Amino acid sequence: MKKWTSFIIIVLALVLILPGVTLAAKKKVTFYWALYDGLTEEFRATLERDFNASQPDIEVEIVPIDWDLMYDKVTTAIVGGNPPELSVVGTRWLLEFMDMNAIEEVTKYVSKATLDNISPGAMEAKIKGKLMGLPVAAGARIMAYNADVVTRVPMTMEELRIAAKKYHNPPKMYGLIMPGKKHTELTDFCYYLYAAGGDYFEMRPDGSYGKCIVNSPAGVKALTFMVDVATKDKVVQEGFLGLDRMDSHPVFYTGKVAFTFIGAWVESAAKGAGATFKIGYGQIPPFTGQKQQSLIITDSVAMFKGAKNLEAAGKFLDFFYQDKYKAKFDELIGFPPVTISAGKLPQFQTPLYRALGEAAATAKGWPLVAGWEQVNDIVWDACVEAFLGRKTPKQALDDAAKKVDEARGM
Amino acid sequence: MPGDRIPRRFFKNASCAIRNMQDTVVTRRKGYFWTTESRLAYLFILPATIFLLAFMIYPVLNVILMSFFKTNKLAQFMKFVGLRNYQELLRKKEFLEVILRSVYWTVLAVAMKTGFGMIIALLLNVKYTGRKIARTLIIIPWATSVPISALLWLWVYHPEFGLLNYTLKATGLLRNPPVWLGNPLSAFMATIWVDIWIGIPFMALVFLAGMQSIPEELYEAANADGVNAWQRFVYVTLPGIRNVLLIATLLSSLWTFNDFNVIYILTKGGPAQSTQILITYTYENTFAWLKWSYGAVMAVITLVILSIVSWIYAKIYFKEET
Repeated sequence: MKKWTSFIIIVLALVLILPGVTLAAKKKVTFYWALYDGLTEEFRATLERDFNASQPDIEVEIVPIDWDLMYDKVTTAIVGGNPPELSVVGTRWLLEFMDMNAIEEVTKYVSKATLDNISPGAMEAKIKGKLMGLPVAAGARIMAYNADVVTRVPMTMEELRIAAKKYHNPPKMYGLIMPGKKHTELTDFCYYLYAAGGDYFEMRPDGSYGKCIVNSPAGVKALTFMVDVATKDKVVQEGFLGLDRMDSHPVFYTGKVAFTFIGAWVESAAKGAGATFKIGYGQIPPFTGQKQQSLIITDSVAMFKGAKNLEAAGKFLDFFYQDKYKAKFDELIGFPPVTISAGKLPQFQTPLYRALGEAAATAKGWPLVAGWEQVNDIVWDACVEAFLGRKTPKQALDDAAKKVDEARGM
Repeated sequence: MPGDRIPRRFFKNASCAIRNMQDTVVTRRKGYFWTTESRLAYLFILPATIFLLAFMIYPVLNVILMSFFKTNKLAQFMKFVGLRNYQELLRKKEFLEVILRSVYWTVLAVAMKTGFGMIIALLLNVKYTGRKIARTLIIIPWATSVPISALLWLWVYHPEFGLLNYTLKATGLLRNPPVWLGNPLSAFMATIWVDIWIGIPFMALVFLAGMQSIPEELYEAANADGVNAWQRFVYVTLPGIRNVLLIATLLSSLWTFNDFNVIYILTKGGPAQSTQILITYTYENTFAWLKWSYGAVMAVITLVILSIVSWIYAKIYFKEET
């Protein structure tokens, strides 16, 4: 009986321990992978499989995560002391992570060949001379329109308002997409703010950000325009207050909207949604008298301090940034390539990419401030208050600016 | 009241029996604290004790401690500030609004769940063909994962493609149905309805179980006395399930007060904070804005509020028992 007991214990121990030993022999790399529109599960699985097959001593696990949950997921992992080796992050989050002393310079682990192949214009993550994230997606925002309906592309916001009124014929056609429900990013207000020549913070002589100025005349002009278009002219999609960006854009893909401000993913996402109309591309128009200025957003891959296998993670990035995978990734998500070699490929010489390139030439990024997430939420709430008519745009933005300054300890 | 005596007697008998058993156990154990048998028992409860200490007691104590400190973004304690975090937070009008909203969110949702649950339990307690199928079907919202249910309702409420607005328009009930999640009042009602919808089956089944433990003879006696259905409900059914009702509403209050999933998925606290309750506000401050001290204060306040509610319930429950 004792013999049998010993035998069973040994077998159980082997069954439980052996797989652990096998895994322990391999260096595990965890990569939080943002689920961009257009990115397929097949591509994720192929990249994971191909890399693991090419590296017998490394095992990468690419964990798909919804973009809206990414920030919470990454911060929770950092605070919990169990960060992944790699994660796609919004470049604007890097300052927060630097504040937390949570990220490593990527130049320590990624090969020179990979770094030399990155377009210098995409290096937004270079902070105080250190590259804190490898650019993974960079794209300026543009205006897309239903070319089957729109005959003339508006050159100013005022012209856009007239055109939206002209084409608005609900429920067959809506003039303009206006997300009215808060989501992770403050993009929608930003388009109008930058088009009015406004900004979020005053810039100090030393280059740091001062007080919040969203309530400047430009800010008020931007929000007043948004509110008027949505609630006075009523030329936006039905139920705009209940639709965030992710819910609103599919309405455009149905062909029922004349204009929308959108990112590079528009073509692949519309194709995925089975859009049958012709899409035209133009620039987000400025208000009369202002210079054209769009928003450019970059996302980066960050490497986290405290993760065990950063050397192996660097090898994975070198593998991923080959044209075979990175160009395919760019093509799927629809963003212009961040690598020089992929930028020369024929699939990136289309009207969409030309419009994106033109927008990028004059576009401006988010302010890189710590605590941006709270600023984002406060200004979004102000926009919603104005949409609901609870406050005038001026009141809403005055209150928001005050709250932002308080939150930033000013 | 005729219905009042029977359940009291029943529960009194049951509690007497339990007390007698406890007395016997206590008598047997006197002087046997560290026998071979008890040592084995301690060994068995050791893993659970360690688990509880590590994953429940320690985090709770850590959060309470954190609420008296300023923390950095990694949740590390930086400076002892006493009650300053509490003072700062309680001075915020927005925070007080959130607490108040949490209270009426809970009261309204629990009341509705109790009402609907009671009606469904009464219907399921009647004998008819297909009763078993009905009992199985009623559990579906409860058995479905909450995030999945919330996502389903998110689509139902969609202003452009949603089933609800489509139905309202198609049937001509409303030509311009509201944007359910876009306006403060409708968003509040829409989110609370989802919470109610998910919670009804639990209430219904618990009440049903309570109703089935009421002796049939009581109903027969009541019928012989010529009482009507309402009197039967008030004087027989309701007193018979009184304790079950107390426990079910207490549990439901605790769950509803902390119902994070429904609000987070449907509105994330919007529009303009109109569906923000304490648990979502705590999450936002803690994990989105990394304000750990404030998050800790909110967690402590939640603990205090829910402990008070539980204490009141316990007082009522045990008062009846004795």
